[in-house]
Amino acid sequence: MAAIDPPLPVANSPRRIQRLTSLRRFATEFFRSPQTAIGTLIVIFFLLLAIFGPAFAPYKANDQNHPVSHQPSAEYPMGTDYLGRDVYSRVILGARSILVTAGAGTLIAVVLGTFLGLAVGYQGGLVDEIIGRFIDAFLALPALLIALVILGVLRNLNPPPGSWQAVLSDRSVLVVIAIVYIPLVARVVRSSTLDVKTREFIWAAQIRGETWLYILFREILPSVAPALVVEASLRFSYAIFLVASLGFLGVGARPPSPDWGLMVNENRGGIYALSPWALNYPALAIAVLVVGVNIMSDGIKRIVQRG
Amino acid sequence: MEAVHDFRLAIQSGQVYGLVGESGSGKSTVASAVMRYVPHNGRIERGSVVNFQGVNLVEKSLREMQQIWAHDLTLVPQNPGAALNPSIRIGEQLAELMRLQRRLPESVVQERVLESLHRVNLPDPRAILTRYPHQLSGGQQQRVMIAMALIPSPQMLILDEPTTNLDVTTEATILDLIETLIRSEGTGALYITHNLGVVAQLCDRAAVMYAGEILEDAEINDLFAGPLHPYTIGLLNSIPRAGQTKRERPLATIPGKPPLLQERPNACVFSDRCPLVIDICRTEKPPLESSGENRLVRCHRWREIEAGNVDAVYPTEIESDVAELAHREILLQAHNLSKTFNSQSTLFNVLGGKVSPPTHAVEDVTLSILKGRTYGLVGESGSGKTTLARMIIGLTEPTSGEIALMGIDLQGDVRQRSREVLAQLQMIFQNPQMSLNPYLTVGEAIRRPLIKLAQLTYTQAEAEARRLLKAVNLREEYVDRYPSELSGGEKQRVAIARAFASNPALIVCDEPVSALDVSVQSAVLNLLVQLQEERNAAYLFISHDLAVVGYLADYVAVMYLGELFEVGYARDLFSPPLHPYTEALISAIPVPDPAIRTDRIHLSGEIPSPAHKPTGCAFHTRCPHKLGQICEVESPPWQHHGNEHHIRCHRTPEELAQIQAYLLNKAKA
Repeated sequence: MAAIDPPLPVANSPRRIQRLTSLRRFATEFFRSPQTAIGTLIVIFFLLLAIFGPAFAPYKANDQNHPVSHQPSAEYPMGTDYLGRDVYSRVILGARSILVTAGAGTLIAVVLGTFLGLAVGYQGGLVDEIIGRFIDAFLALPALLIALVILGVLRNLNPPPGSWQAVLSDRSVLVVIAIVYIPLVARVVRSSTLDVKTREFIWAAQIRGETWLYILFREILPSVAPALVVEASLRFSYAIFLVASLGFLGVGARPPSPDWGLMVNENRGGIYALSPWALNYPALAIAVLVVGVNIMSDGIKRIVQRG
Repeated sequence: MEAVHDFRLAIQSGQVYGLVGESGSGKSTVASAVMRYVPHNGRIERGSVVNFQGVNLVEKSLREMQQIWAHDLTLVPQNPGAALNPSIRIGEQLAELMRLQRRLPESVVQERVLESLHRVNLPDPRAILTRYPHQLSGGQQQRVMIAMALIPSPQMLILDEPTTNLDVTTEATILDLIETLIRSEGTGALYITHNLGVVAQLCDRAAVMYAGEILEDAEINDLFAGPLHPYTIGLLNSIPRAGQTKRERPLATIPGKPPLLQERPNACVFSDRCPLVIDICRTEKPPLESSGENRLVRCHRWREIEAGNVDAVYPTEIESDVAELAHREILLQAHNLSKTFNSQSTLFNVLGGKVSPPTHAVEDVTLSILKGRTYGLVGESGSGKTTLARMIIGLTEPTSGEIALMGIDLQGDVRQRSREVLAQLQMIFQNPQMSLNPYLTVGEAIRRPLIKLAQLTYTQAEAEARRLLKAVNLREEYVDRYPSELSGGEKQRVAIARAFASNPALIVCDEPVSALDVSVQSAVLNLLVQLQEERNAAYLFISHDLAVVGYLADYVAVMYLGELFEVGYARDLFSPPLHPYTEALISAIPVPDPAIRTDRIHLSGEIPSPAHKPTGCAFHTRCPHKLGQICEVESPPWQHHGNEHHIRCHRTPEELAQIQAYLLNKAKA
């Protein structure tokens, strides 16, 4: 065969080069704007904190045997709060819970929302019409309001320990994020699906007798993926904000956990004058992380949409 | 990268100059260069001259060009839908142009706008003034664009494929309009197209372009009667003409594909595909020489071609036996097939109990497809062709009627059909860009039906996929490619390979070549014929192009507004056409021969919407030989005219034949 039809390394190499360059192009393009680079570095920094935080934190989160409302010093870089807890350690240790809750919640929302969006968009007709209106109605309500209602329900279940309701209740913020964002993700995926499903390669798959699931995930999903990636990164940044907001409102993480939003809540009011640093630093951490994720997702969007 | 090289052309006022070439040949680049409308990453090389009435346009500033665009040099674009502003009413868009010309009182402007629409024969222009572009059909939009281009009474008009996206019958009326207007205004025109038929009917002179160079430039009659360049010869032989069948005269195909612009050889650009190539062609670029009075050609061997010493013979790729049709078994039979669409079932409509009248997309269609033969189905867009195809393939469930495959009743849609039935019915789609999943490789696309329907193992499927690729004349390495790495013709070949993978008995081909370039078209058509011979598959071949259907099909059905009006063997349908609709379809095809300038029969108006189908005979609103009241009231009966030739008309076949004979005599006289 080699004599007639020599293997063509030349024919293959442009493709590999193309792949490499496109990966490299992705990277260069991604970091070309300094904002994107900064955003990504911020996110990476917080990820490292979440993973290795306990190794860096000088004290335990709830150690109270420190001076009360001590101002920042070499020993307590961010000072201590009114109960004598080290703010620096609490900020570091709080990174994990906010990233895990927001990340896992977003992930669940993306997975379920994608499935719902694909199924509804592909099915079309009355199913689409009904679920579509339902999603629209859901989106008309402020996310925070829905979150509060759901949290109220989950918290008041008072489930017996060990039951599945108890598991849900313990992870209530995560569940809230998933529920609030499923319709949003579904809507984006649905609209891309509506476009893709009219393409003739979908007909070809139907004519082959492909199953519904095969068509959704093998034929449609890859075309939807770019829009999905953009939506997921955007959802993640909003999820972080929502976790912090719920903590601040006192319906998220429960005391004494080192949640940033909760810390802001605990240290406001009359106590603020005694130890302003105990509020300022967690608030700064929230702000920096939210801005970082936002800038990064902007960068992703720019590249994906340029194709 | 040089897109256009050494381009020379002189257009006189009152002359219609054709510029022919396939996509990527640089036609549109020339148009935009002449208009000085070059994209940011392009430039017109130093030394280029566009002499327009004694002025060199290349040296003009943008401001000066705007004046010229507004008064002397206008463009009719290919896609009127994109050229009109979707959010401004037609009347306002025209008035805007009118005001740009001269300061006129508003009442005069409105009057002139109305006049300009009258001039392009738009029905009810007053109503059109207040419409938005999306409320007009493609043909109407193009008429508006022509009206716009003519508002300043320009010295020169550039038309960039103005009829490419239109139906044949609409195309014919637009071409006539363009011809009358240009002739009456004495405007010079550059007409860009890939359709040699259009050039033959409309132009005085034409240049053939290939890979950014002019290969031949001559008066129309000379070009068609004695083409000197092998490429021109190949193009002329690769288009099916009305009445030409695969059995009598197969199409020539030009093998290979045009060179990429960045790889254009510094030699004859056509040398890779030329049947007359000699050594010098590959080393030296031939000059554009004058081969006679008013004639230019760029070929090393034009003298030999002119003297008749050599002949540019292209492969035809078909060895077909002329087997008798009648003895074939029936493969698929559809009986009284109908499809009615109800109004969209939106939640509001359902809750509000609103019901608009149903649309009869396909009505009472009966057809039988023979084993290993081609059944052609012709009709304009909106005639229900695709709905019929979808019903047969099982993507749409018929409202009533039966479909039987080899005597077995097919019920419901694809989801209810067994694997064996699915394997027997496959489909090739119109748009190769959309019929392959951009995220799956060619190999994955072809292996899937092999595994799913033919139940091969992965390794077997892999080997078979390579065999199939070779069968459709693609290299085996293509298995690892993504569709974006293929050209349009190659994608369509992959789609054909995929359709043949399960070794089906019937393949529904829905306009498989209408999105392809001319020279690629003939190759794909011939490939379909060849595969049919080898694998004994039957085709249901759907197209709006009667010449293509007539060439490929053994038996043809003509469809209008969801109903069949004439069925018969391909050869009987053309000589002469009997049904008035078939007649109109045939005469609408631009004949690639300037000697035959047909007195075209034109269908007035647009095809009615299937939602408001005319009563009686659905064709009576546009019929040139309408009999009278009976046509408006009564549905016409089927009449037999020998040799399985059936016509649905209130006139008898004999009467229709007489009309044709009369018309023929009149044309001769």
